[in-house]
Amino acid sequence: MLKLPIKDLKLFFKDRPSVLVTFAVPIALITLFAFAFGGAGQGNKENKISMQIADLDNTDLSAKAIAVFDTLKNIRTNHVSYEAAVEAIKKGKENSVLIIHKGFADSLETGSELPLELQYDEAREIEVGLLQQSLIPTVFRLPFSLGNPKAVMAGRFEKLTENSSPEVKENILHQSDNLFESLSQGIAENSGTTDPAGAFLGNEIKMTKLVAAKKDSSLGLIQAVSGTAVMMLLFSVVGIGMGLLEEKQEGTLKRLLYAPMNPMKILFGKMISANIISIFQLAVMFLFAALVFGLELKNHSTGLLITIIATAFACSAFGVFLASFAKSRQQVQGLSTLIILVMSAIGGSMIPIFFMPAFMQKLAVISVNYWSIQGFYDVLWRELPVFSTTFLSRILVLVLIGVVLNFLAVIMFKKNILKMN
Amino acid sequence: MIEIKNLRKTYDGHEALKGISFNIREGEFYGLLGPNGAGKTTTISIMSSILEPDSGEVLINGKNITGDITEAKQLTGVVPQEIALYGDFSAFENLSFWGSLYNVPNRELKQRIENMLNLFGLYDRRHDKVKAYSGGMKRRINIAAALLHQPKIVFMDEPTVGIDPQSRNLIYEVIEQLHQEGMTIVYTTHYMEEAERFCDRIGIIDNGQIIEEGTLQELKSRSNLKEVIEVTYDKLEDTQAGEIISRWPGSSRKENKISFLLTDIQKELPGIVIKSSEIGVTINNIEIQRTNLETIFLNLTGKQLRD
Repeated sequence: MLKLPIKDLKLFFKDRPSVLVTFAVPIALITLFAFAFGGAGQGNKENKISMQIADLDNTDLSAKAIAVFDTLKNIRTNHVSYEAAVEAIKKGKENSVLIIHKGFADSLETGSELPLELQYDEAREIEVGLLQQSLIPTVFRLPFSLGNPKAVMAGRFEKLTENSSPEVKENILHQSDNLFESLSQGIAENSGTTDPAGAFLGNEIKMTKLVAAKKDSSLGLIQAVSGTAVMMLLFSVVGIGMGLLEEKQEGTLKRLLYAPMNPMKILFGKMISANIISIFQLAVMFLFAALVFGLELKNHSTGLLITIIATAFACSAFGVFLASFAKSRQQVQGLSTLIILVMSAIGGSMIPIFFMPAFMQKLAVISVNYWSIQGFYDVLWRELPVFSTTFLSRILVLVLIGVVLNFLAVIMFKKNILKMN
Repeated sequence: MIEIKNLRKTYDGHEALKGISFNIREGEFYGLLGPNGAGKTTTISIMSSILEPDSGEVLINGKNITGDITEAKQLTGVVPQEIALYGDFSAFENLSFWGSLYNVPNRELKQRIENMLNLFGLYDRRHDKVKAYSGGMKRRINIAAALLHQPKIVFMDEPTVGIDPQSRNLIYEVIEQLHQEGMTIVYTTHYMEEAERFCDRIGIIDNGQIIEEGTLQELKSRSNLKEVIEVTYDKLEDTQAGEIISRWPGSSRKENKISFLLTDIQKELPGIVIKSSEIGVTINNIEIQRTNLETIFLNLTGKQLRD
């Protein structure tokens, strides 16, 4: 059984152009994307970022505040209970929840600090950063649009002058009416995030990491490595799968069939060699990222290995299936390029998934790239334990994809490849 | 040793084999001749268990090969028409791989590979990649790969196509040696001289049927073909030519040359020489075209073997 995959592996490593395409090209792309995603925070602002809102205050004013958040151009709000919100973040389905704590209405009335808190998944720092940028100016303005502006001003001036001399305090209090007019005018006219009045008033949102990620790993780097590695792996495994058609074309497949063994061993041998090369390729990609870009792997080896194996299994099944399905090398080449590029585009290999519109994010689940990249995020960024249901569910999907495609490959191999005339 | 019984096979509505039957004895060199598309490769594919017939059976040593395909495959070696080797492997690596599929123990396999490389004159080039070999060298390795497990029966499907004379002669010598050692060989070829040189018996296949079978002598005698001699004269007048042609009906003239169709050259040739002398014409040259497999084949199928 092992003779055939050993033969394939020997042939693979003798074919230098193939080895180059398998390792050097992905390394070059990873390098390119790693630099590109270093500035990923400046990403596309056209797409709405999802944000959950949990209203623990349940007052008319908190409802009005929610209505204001609902109108924000860049944010797609989702009103849920706090428990449901936390669950969704932990499962990686949502990036954050804005909590309106009890006392929100009172704070608006009295001008004290608003009890707002954004709990978030640190793994989605880029999304949350964009969210914060959109949210803060609105929060600054809430006391003026919904609450008691004068009380807010008084409280702020009090705070600002607490270390000043009684004369200065007196002077400012005398001018507070004028100051309030000019500041509120500025707020009304300026909707930018660099609003000086907003900065002066300084109503902040408390930021709490609900799911923490290790700080010395870069999300952009993980995105670059996992996205590129999976995409390039798909190209490589199609090349390996095409070996079947090459063997048929050159007569070696027929010669293998003359030998005293079950013909299905030819396919299984190809599957084994495709898996071994895939695991090797992914491992090399992550080691490269660790050595050159400092990607932290040391504490994630088990989860990383599981994800690599599951990804290799799913991707190699895809390559072998495509080769069994097609009737010529040319057919495979055309079909595979199209499918891989589409899967990579929608699955998050080229652009991080959270930059995409909502319907594209839903569509991503049909791509093997999506499950694999999310698996790598779970391990390297979210640092989920290997027994967590979120992580295991992604691995299960990858394994299922592999099983189904391998099963179909067996059927198509019998129908297309073994048909000798 | 091999019994083919009423094999039928249809592909996409085309009946490739129409119930062919023939037997091959142990140690026999059996030639399967036919034009392209006659059914030779289909027959060999079924005999070597990679294709299932629609009906009929193949028995090797009395056992139906569909019963135990693995055992049947272990008994047989196939030299395919294509050069079915891995170009990026050396000759040694190719032979190691193909030999290993037949469960030859490693040490034994290594010895057999060395013997085979010596036999085919490629020992010195054993570590060169096959893709760097000439066509003839590749053909030699292609044959060697089918012999490593020392099969009792070898199917050779046009094993000498497109090679240089040196390689061809070397391959001929090896094939003759295998035959002398008692191997049963089933051979398909387009080269008549190969069939005439090696085959104990020949089966002529056309349109999926065996249309004639026997030794070369049996085929000749059954064919009733006349042999042809071509006599070239120094100078030939119309009246002289007419006198000769009327004496040997079926003869034809082309300028100074007359072609005679004869049943027995030995008996009739002296008469031609005497008659030519009597009418005063000088013979410059006599060419004899004896009945051979080519003419028999043409007579039986109406096709050249390379059609």
